Amino acid sequence: MSPLRRFLRTPEAVAGAILLAALIAMALSASLLFPGDPQAITGPALLPPFQDWSLPLGTDRLGRDVLAELFHGARTSLAVGLAAAAAALVVGAVVGTLAGFAGGLVDEVLMRITDAFQTVPSFLLALAFVSVVGPSLGVVVIAIALGTWTGPARVARAEVLSIRERDYVAGARVIGMHPLAIAFREVLPNALPPVLAMSSVIVAAAILTEAALSFLGLGDPNRVTWGGMIAEGRAVLRTAPFLSIVPGIALVLTVLGVYLAGEGIVETTAVRRGLS
Amino acid sequence: MTLLAVSNLTKRYRRGNKTIAAVDDVSFHIDPGETLALAGPSGSGKSTIARLALRLIEPDDGRIDFEGGDFLALSGAALRARRARLQMVFQDPLAAFNPRATVARVLDDPLRIHGIASRGERPRRIAALLERVGLTADLAPRAIHEISGGQRQRVAIARAIATKPSLIVLDEAVSALDVSVRGEILELLLDLQRQEKIAYLFISHDLGVIRSVAHRVILLDAGRIAENGDARTVIDAPQSAIGKALVAAAPRLNRTGP
Amino acid sequence: MTALALIRNLTVTYRRDGSEVAALRSVSLDIEAGERLAIIGESGSGKSTLALAIAGLLPGSAKIGGRIDWFLSSLGAKAPPSVLPDISPSRGEIGSFAVGSSPATLVIGEGGNKGAISPLEGEMSGRTEGGLIECRSQKSASKQSHIPRLGRDIGFVFQDPSASLDPVMTIGKQIAEVARTHLGLTWSQSYARAKGLLERVRLPDPDSALRAFPHQLSGGQKQRVAIAAAIAAGPKLLIADEATSALDTIVQAEIVALIRRLVTEDGMTLLFISHDIALAAELAERIAVFRHGQLVELGMTAQIVGAPAQPYTRALLDAHIGLDTRPLLNRARLRA
Repeated sequence: MSPLRRFLRTPEAVAGAILLAALIAMALSASLLFPGDPQAITGPALLPPFQDWSLPLGTDRLGRDVLAELFHGARTSLAVGLAAAAAALVVGAVVGTLAGFAGGLVDEVLMRITDAFQTVPSFLLALAFVSVVGPSLGVVVIAIALGTWTGPARVARAEVLSIRERDYVAGARVIGMHPLAIAFREVLPNALPPVLAMSSVIVAAAILTEAALSFLGLGDPNRVTWGGMIAEGRAVLRTAPFLSIVPGIALVLTVLGVYLAGEGIVETTAVRRGLS
Repeated sequence: MTLLAVSNLTKRYRRGNKTIAAVDDVSFHIDPGETLALAGPSGSGKSTIARLALRLIEPDDGRIDFEGGDFLALSGAALRARRARLQMVFQDPLAAFNPRATVARVLDDPLRIHGIASRGERPRRIAALLERVGLTADLAPRAIHEISGGQRQRVAIARAIATKPSLIVLDEAVSALDVSVRGEILELLLDLQRQEKIAYLFISHDLGVIRSVAHRVILLDAGRIAENGDARTVIDAPQSAIGKALVAAAPRLNRTGP
Repeated sequence: MTALALIRNLTVTYRRDGSEVAALRSVSLDIEAGERLAIIGESGSGKSTLALAIAGLLPGSAKIGGRIDWFLSSLGAKAPPSVLPDISPSRGEIGSFAVGSSPATLVIGEGGNKGAISPLEGEMSGRTEGGLIECRSQKSASKQSHIPRLGRDIGFVFQDPSASLDPVMTIGKQIAEVARTHLGLTWSQSYARAKGLLERVRLPDPDSALRAFPHQLSGGQKQRVAIAAAIAAGPKLLIADEATSALDTIVQAEIVALIRRLVTEDGMTLLFISHDIALAAELAERIAVFRHGQLVELGMTAQIVGAPAQPYTRALLDAHIGLDTRPLLNRARLRA
């Protein structure tokens, strides 16, 4: 059975993939369906959902279109989540590979740095970093990555430590390959699968961290974010709960989708590796 | 002229708070075009010596001279350049290659690293190497895990001879092969030795094979040399206790009929 | 000679990447009670598949056809635990009673029903994927007969003892567990039996070995422990699948001598799977040569080695490089 077919046979994986596809479709179509500034005032303030079909999800305190905000917020969530996770995975894989392959002093130094990062709660780290440097999309991405690269680094190092002892690495040394070429061409690609298996959890965590930062007012002020929308709605939670509930549901579904799809991919590839 | 001279080689390992000498004051030499076999039970240090000679691990003591120079003094780029002359073939040809590699990539690496052929010329060199070891050039795009064990070991030999080495370490290189394939691989190795004057350091636990292809043999026991001399003389009439035990343990085929 | 098992038209097919690969093709072979039978062949010959099929260890994805008839009861079933002597160095003491020849038969549809020939009754459900496996007693049901169980009726020794022993369980417990499970002994009886078995496989200092973990032993010692565990329940059939291939020559000779002694003392039947025809010839009374999933030649050892009927057997013998073979080096020199 091909991996794709096995993936499609797992109901959770398919549900996750559909959710994820919907999120991506929202992000991609945001500027087509809702051209112009999503933060522009388009109607009366605090219009409840399903009243006016030109504003299906109603408006917020300032009269901004909630649906447009939701679509544009999907962009931010997805961009920040993917970028932060990618940064964390790349940094983690490189650090872990160098530490595991070089061993000795390099390993000691890199792993103590990893320890230092791991002892600080990652959200606190992100919070501190954004407050010091100032909120912008790039800074938020770096702030989230700062707290999450340590996991991939540890997994990559453990994997590299076992691969390093294999004959083919000795074989690469015997033909005179440069140590860095061995580490990154021969060892790293074979150490990646378990590191990549962590990506769904990391993406989901990054999306949540971004929402939390925005909720606390530390997101990019020029962009709509779901966390920011929830924070906005908090002031009128009793009178207009939908302002918090709508982006909240979007967030839950996104994290669930990323997680389920990721698990599905990991499981299908694990089965394939188990068979070979 | 001596090709490889090893003197007083020692490698110790710490196990708990005990220190064990895996290789204990071992000296030997190999001449150009000669096959020296290392034999002994597991744990006798034969594979450790192979890895020390290749500098895959570093000795605690001793000296290695290769092609007239102090091999242990080399480091970095100088060591990597010298590695072209000293190659290795492993026991398990599947484990000896990157699991993602193709035949072509495996043979391309040494040619590229040592600047033996330009990018445009390499496919032709790879085809020539494959033909030299009795394979056909159309094997080049295949993945390593797709071809048979015997073909894989031929590719491993092709990779070893790509840089025109003067010495190849064969670490149990025929032990994992089927008997019918083993004979062909041994013939290939002898043929290469005759044509290219390659010397072999032949690590094996199989005295029958050593007797068949080696010029000289060293019998090891617990990291020390127990006996050494002409391969057939030593194996036909071993003097050391370990030599006698190894010969007595070798299975014999009595083909005189029922 | 009486038969222990009759294998008829055994065909095993593995599915790999959508295509089907036949590992065994219509193999018929009798295993005689008390004999030492060697199965030899090169990689891909199907010799290990045969061992796994006999032991009921084939993966559920394998397609199996043909039948294996077992004649275990006629050789004496296991005595109830109450009459079992706790540690008996010679198996002659172990009570046995014959119940006539009532073979337990495992019939697997020729039409390629999916399902494993699994003598492991307890594990059957997980392996059969809706396949039809029929257990049939050919005589009256009142007579005792059974499909063999791995551990109790069949002992299996694998090539790599590190992989077949549990790394976090003591040696003593691993052996005692087999005795306890299959013989219904108490833990203390099982440990006493385990100690006796460690003495029988000549492990130095059996008392401390009982409490040792596998990583504290050498490869040869681990294989001795694996053999002790395999024979702990007093099986009729011992299958050694390349059991000495990972060991060096000296240890290999010791393990072969150990297997020969244990098989003789206990009157066990031995199925010795090997790629090494010389080693097989030293141990076995009969040799079956396999190639590409088929039985090429079967005969007494002296006949197979001295006067092989098949060209392939002769080629295998010619390929053997022994201590008296003319060196390739000399042949090469002559040609040069």
